[in-house]
Amino acid sequence: MSPEVFVKRWSAWAPDHRDEEAWRDWARAPVAPKGNAHPDVSFLPAMFRRRCNPLARLMLAAAFDGCEADAASEPRTVFASRHGSINDSLPLLEALALRKPLSPTAFSHTVHNVQAGLFSIAAENRQPSSSVSGSADTFESGFIEALTHLDRDPERDVLLVVGDHPLHAVFAPLVDEDAVSYAFALLLSRSGSGTALRFELAPRRAPASPPPWPTALEFLRWLLSSEERLETGTGPSRFVWHRARA
Amino acid sequence: MADSALALGPGPGAKVQPSWPEKIVARRVPCRLAALGIVTSLGSDVDANWARLCAGDQSRFRARDGFLPDRSLIVAEVQDPLPEIPTTLAAHRCRNNAMSLAALRPIEPALDRALAGIDRSRVGVVMGTSTAGAIAVEEAVGRHLARGDFPDSFHYEQAEFGGTSEFVAAHLGLAGPCYTISTACSSGARALAAARSLLSLGLCDAVVAGGTDTLCGLVTNGFTALHAVSDRITNPCSAHRSGLTLGEGSALFLLTPEEGGIQLRGVGESSEAHHMSAPDPSGRGAETAMRAALADAGVEPAAIAYLNLHGTGTPQNDSMECAAVARLFPDGVPCSSTKPIVGHALGAAGAIEAAVCWLALSHLDEGRLRPPPHRWDGVRDPELPDLPLVEAGQSISVSGEALVMTNSFGFGGNNCTLVLGVAP
Repeated sequence: MSPEVFVKRWSAWAPDHRDEEAWRDWARAPVAPKGNAHPDVSFLPAMFRRRCNPLARLMLAAAFDGCEADAASEPRTVFASRHGSINDSLPLLEALALRKPLSPTAFSHTVHNVQAGLFSIAAENRQPSSSVSGSADTFESGFIEALTHLDRDPERDVLLVVGDHPLHAVFAPLVDEDAVSYAFALLLSRSGSGTALRFELAPRRAPASPPPWPTALEFLRWLLSSEERLETGTGPSRFVWHRARA
Repeated sequence: MADSALALGPGPGAKVQPSWPEKIVARRVPCRLAALGIVTSLGSDVDANWARLCAGDQSRFRARDGFLPDRSLIVAEVQDPLPEIPTTLAAHRCRNNAMSLAALRPIEPALDRALAGIDRSRVGVVMGTSTAGAIAVEEAVGRHLARGDFPDSFHYEQAEFGGTSEFVAAHLGLAGPCYTISTACSSGARALAAARSLLSLGLCDAVVAGGTDTLCGLVTNGFTALHAVSDRITNPCSAHRSGLTLGEGSALFLLTPEEGGIQLRGVGESSEAHHMSAPDPSGRGAETAMRAALADAGVEPAAIAYLNLHGTGTPQNDSMECAAVARLFPDGVPCSSTKPIVGHALGAAGAIEAAVCWLALSHLDEGRLRPPPHRWDGVRDPELPDLPLVEAGQSISVSGEALVMTNSFGFGGNNCTLVLGVAP
C-alpha cells in the first residue's frame, strides 16, 4: 500500500472537454472522447508557442491550469507520456533513411523530456523534474514517480502531468489503444486539503477490460465519482486505488 | 482493509498502516547498491571495465562508418557479442535490450538471493534511456519509407520508452512498479534516485535500476547537427576541447533497503529554465543539484573524496560545470571525467558513472581511493578554474566514510547529482 496522497488540484483537456464543468458532466455519463485537437495556449508568447508541438501544447495547458494561481514555478514536476515526441521523430527518422542532414532544433525537441523542459522555461520553474513512460500503464508510472518526488522533498507539491497525442498514421496500426489527444494534471501533496487517496498492487486476476479512454481520464472519472475504489493497469499487477479514510 | 481479497500478504517489508515518515531525517532508510552489471565499449565484464577505466584505456574508441552520411565518426561502441533475447520476448528484440540483458547477468545471482521469500510485486524496475530501441526503429522506418510496410520483426515495444523497463521486468519475472525515465543525459542517474525512493516509500523490497542507451543514427546525426561532437576523442576541460564523443552501454544495479556495503547516500536535482539544448552558462543549475545532493547526504563539500564530472568535453558544459565545482569546492576536490574512456552514453551515462563511483568504492584499499584518471591533453583552459584533475595512478587518502559524487546534466536543463558512500 502506498502512503496517502492528497489531490490539491486537477485540470484536464481533451477535444470536447476543456473546463471543470465539462469534465464533471462527462464523469456522470462518460463516453470516449475523440479527436486530435490541441489547445491554442494563447497565454504563451507567440515565439515560444511555435516551439511547442501538439503534445507540448496539451501538457503545458494542463500543467499551468493544474498549478495554484501564479505559482507555476513552485512545484516539482513529473511529465508522463506513453508516446512522447515520437511523431516529431518520424521526419527525422525519414531524413536519416534518405541520408539527409537533421535539423538541430528539431532533434533537440524530440527528447522525451521536451514538454518538461518547455514548461520549466515558460514557468521559470527550476524545481526538479522527471519525464517517464510506462507503456499502457504510463499514468500509473507517472503517479509512482510523483510519489518518489514527495519522498525526496516532503514539503513541496508535485505536479503530475499526463498526456498523449494520437500516433502518426505510420505507427498507429502497431498499437491497440483508444487514441485521443488529452492531457491531465494533478497537483499532489503529502498533506493538506483535497481528496486523499492511496493505491496498492494486487495480483492480476481475469484479464482487465479497461474503458475506451486513457487511464488518466478513467482516474479523473473516479476522482469525480463517489466510488470507493478503482482498478487500473495492464501489467502483471493490478493497481487498486482507494479513497483514504477520512 | 475492507476487502481482504485485495490485501497483499504480510510479506517482508509490507506495512499494515503505511504512512509518511514523521521527519525528513527519519526517511533515511538505507539504500544499498548491492550488485552491479555493466556493459560498455570497455567490455561486458565488471572487472574488465574497472581495469580499463583505471588504465585510462582509450584503445576501444574507433572511427565508425555508417552513422553519418558523409564521413566516419569516432565512437565508443560495445564490441563484445551480446546475448540473444529469447523467443518469448521477441517483441522486445533490439540492441538496447540485448545490452540490458548482458548487464543483468552479473546481478542475477544476487537478485535470486534477494528475491527468496519476496513477493514479486514488491520488486521494482526503473530504467533510464534516451534511445530505447532506436536502431530497430530506424531500420523499420527506412523500410516503411521504401516499401510501405514494417518488417515482421518490428514491434512498437522496441520503439516506446516504456519497453526498456518492461523488458527487464518481463525477463526477470517481476511484477512491481516498472517504468522508464527519459530525461536525456540525466536519465540513468534519475532511475537510481527513483529506485531509492521506491525503497524509502516502502513500495518495494528490492529494485533493479540503471540505464541503457544505444549508438544510433538519430543521436549521432543529431549531436553532429548541433555541432556538439568532437572529431577527436573528447578532451574535457582542455583549452582544445571541441565537443563530446558518443558511446553506448548499460549499467544496472540491484538496490536493497539494507545497511552496509556501498550506499546511495544522496540525491540532488534541479531544472534550469534556460534552454532546451544548452546549459545555463553560470552553472547555477549544476551547483543547485550538487548542493542538494550534499544536503541530502547530510555532509559538507569537504567530505567528498572524488567527483566524477559530467565532463562531456563541449565548451559550454565544461565551462559551466568547472565554475560550479570551483564555487562549491573552494578547497578543490579530486575529479575526473570518464567520458574520454567510455564515451558519452547519454541516457545510460548517469548509471555508468554511478558504476564508476561504485567500482572505485568497492576497490577502496586501506583508506586509499584510486579513481580513474582524467584523460586529456593536459592543456589547461585559462578561462576555466583550475580543478584538481585525477592523474593516472593517483590515490586519495580517505578517513571515515568514503564519499564520492557524480554529476549528470541533460537536455531540457535537467540535472541530477548522486552521492555514493561506504562506511569505514
